[in-house]
Amino acid sequence: MDSIQSLAVAFVELTTPMMLFHVLWATLLGIIVGSLPGLTATMGVALLTSLTYSMDRDSAILVLICMYVGAIYGGSRSAILLNIPGTPASAATSLDGYPLARAGKAGYAMGLATVGSVLGTLVGIALLVLLAPPLAEAAIRFGSFEFFWLAVFGVVISGQLTADGNVQKGYIAGILGLMVAMIGSDGIHAHVRFNLGIPDLNGGIGLIPAMVGAFGFAEVLTAMSNPPGKVVTADGPKARTIPRFIDVWKYKLTILRSGVIGTLVGILPGVGEDIGAWASYAAARRSSKERDQFGKGSQEGLIAAETGNSAVVPGSLIPALTLAIPGSAASAVLIAALFIHGIRPGPMIMIEAPEFIYLVAVMLLFATLAILVLGLFLTPVFVTVLKVPHAYLMPVVFTLCVIGPYAISQRMFDVWVMAVFGVIGFVLRKMNYPMAPLVLGIILGDLLDKSLRRGLILSDGDLSPFFTRPICAVFVVIIAASILSSSQGVRRAVSRLWRPSATDGKP
Amino acid sequence: MTPISMKKADMVTAIVLAVIGVAMFLGGYQMDRLEFRKIHPASIPGLVPMGLGLLLSLCAVLMFRSARASADDELISTGKGGVLIWTTLLCLIYALVLVGWLPFLAATFLFITLFVTLFSWPAGPELKPRLKSLAVAVLFGAVMSVAISALFRYGFLVRLP
Repeated sequence: MDSIQSLAVAFVELTTPMMLFHVLWATLLGIIVGSLPGLTATMGVALLTSLTYSMDRDSAILVLICMYVGAIYGGSRSAILLNIPGTPASAATSLDGYPLARAGKAGYAMGLATVGSVLGTLVGIALLVLLAPPLAEAAIRFGSFEFFWLAVFGVVISGQLTADGNVQKGYIAGILGLMVAMIGSDGIHAHVRFNLGIPDLNGGIGLIPAMVGAFGFAEVLTAMSNPPGKVVTADGPKARTIPRFIDVWKYKLTILRSGVIGTLVGILPGVGEDIGAWASYAAARRSSKERDQFGKGSQEGLIAAETGNSAVVPGSLIPALTLAIPGSAASAVLIAALFIHGIRPGPMIMIEAPEFIYLVAVMLLFATLAILVLGLFLTPVFVTVLKVPHAYLMPVVFTLCVIGPYAISQRMFDVWVMAVFGVIGFVLRKMNYPMAPLVLGIILGDLLDKSLRRGLILSDGDLSPFFTRPICAVFVVIIAASILSSSQGVRRAVSRLWRPSATDGKP
Repeated sequence: MTPISMKKADMVTAIVLAVIGVAMFLGGYQMDRLEFRKIHPASIPGLVPMGLGLLLSLCAVLMFRSARASADDELISTGKGGVLIWTTLLCLIYALVLVGWLPFLAATFLFITLFVTLFSWPAGPELKPRLKSLAVAVLFGAVMSVAISALFRYGFLVRLP
């Protein structure tokens, strides 16, 4: 009951003409950013953070959330029309969206993707409101020992689930991120580490310049070096773009399942929307009666992918708000933005700003309604936007990559950080190193470092509380099982143990 | 541009990462222990860097072994190599040299105009399309540099570099 009342209060507070205007322009900008191959949701949120610096708290966070939701949804436009996902989150969308477009149903596919995204976000919002307050209250009981393992868990899980084949590369990306976080004053004794004699490094590497470089500059280089796609717009002039109710209703179970899977994937630290989409797509395919149609223009596959990636957005905000641990790369930037605007995410949020979780839920709801309206009625605009050549778009994007980080700190040093991270990010991406664990490492490095050393001070150098406290023990088991399961040797040994016993009963 | 072998790239990267890991471990080991501030010995600032250095070296060794044993020799796609090199050069010159050396408006105008000219230059030998392309690039560069500068200067009150 309290939750409903808090939601109603938040709804009234945010329903002002100015806020609704912010919702419209920020969501539209998000959809455009997401639909352009080469521009990701993380980059959009990172660049927009600098533009929201002078806004009040609620307007700034509303604008960033609308950008995030809009960009994740917008990725489906180019996935369907170009067969190039606008953001990595829409890679699964292109599997069925593009065949539908080639069959002359581009508008209808975009309509289905819109409804899938809207319903996925709504499922995620419901779970956010249900799960975030109790999670924040449970997290109050976390001490240094638990936070240390939580940070390790985040990097390990993110490294494992986002790695493209080679898990070691995921772990290495996470460790590199943690190493970057070691630069600058340490959080306990304020001792300056690894500043290489450069005074600008005393404060550490800023998250926003690093993210703008790794996601913005690196994307500019990737987009310029890849050949542009060809827009498919084969629909007739009277082609239907608003999905039939029956087409959506018959996939109600797929939508609900994909929404829940997407939200749960979002809760996992640093895993992100692409994994949410793939997991939902795989689950839908396994349980579908028309699984042979998947990959050939299945409406169910398209809805599952879009519902899954959109549900990750509210899901990723659950740990971001309650534990200050981002569920995705874009929510990592949102955490930085929250700090800039005076909100301290973490277990204390339900004590310091209990209304904020409900405000975020209503912001997500507004963004969702905006993508429904804009997505269904502005399809021709997005088709036009997709035709803008990279030669014109990318220099403008890079200019924003330069001035964005500078605008926050007014330091040229942050522009250099952006450039360095851009080149390193591009090279690492080409070599199949995932970026999400790197970002998560930069965010969690300070927490891991402080929690380990503070825990050791509390236990007088004794390591046993890190393993014997109940929550710590659970984390240790999950982390160990996760690392061991990724080792081929262990998998082979387990399958050898399993095989004889499985065949014992056979004649 | 010749495609690069992923196997070789992984082996070279593993060596580089192992060196970084060892350097991080040594950096953490040699870091000030702050005894004069009588801190708890378990809270020395170099503790986590030492651990991370060891972990990175371990991962690098494992990656080197698996890359060497791998039979699959995937190639790293570099896409349009010439375009990539020119894009990188232009972007780095703009970010590291022009911005801060020239006023932001002038630096941005130069960068956008050059970028658009370079990547939308007509292939044919005719003069007219070339002049048209150049004029469009100059106009686009001027409009965008003024718009971005005005947005940040007057909209967000940023003192431009």
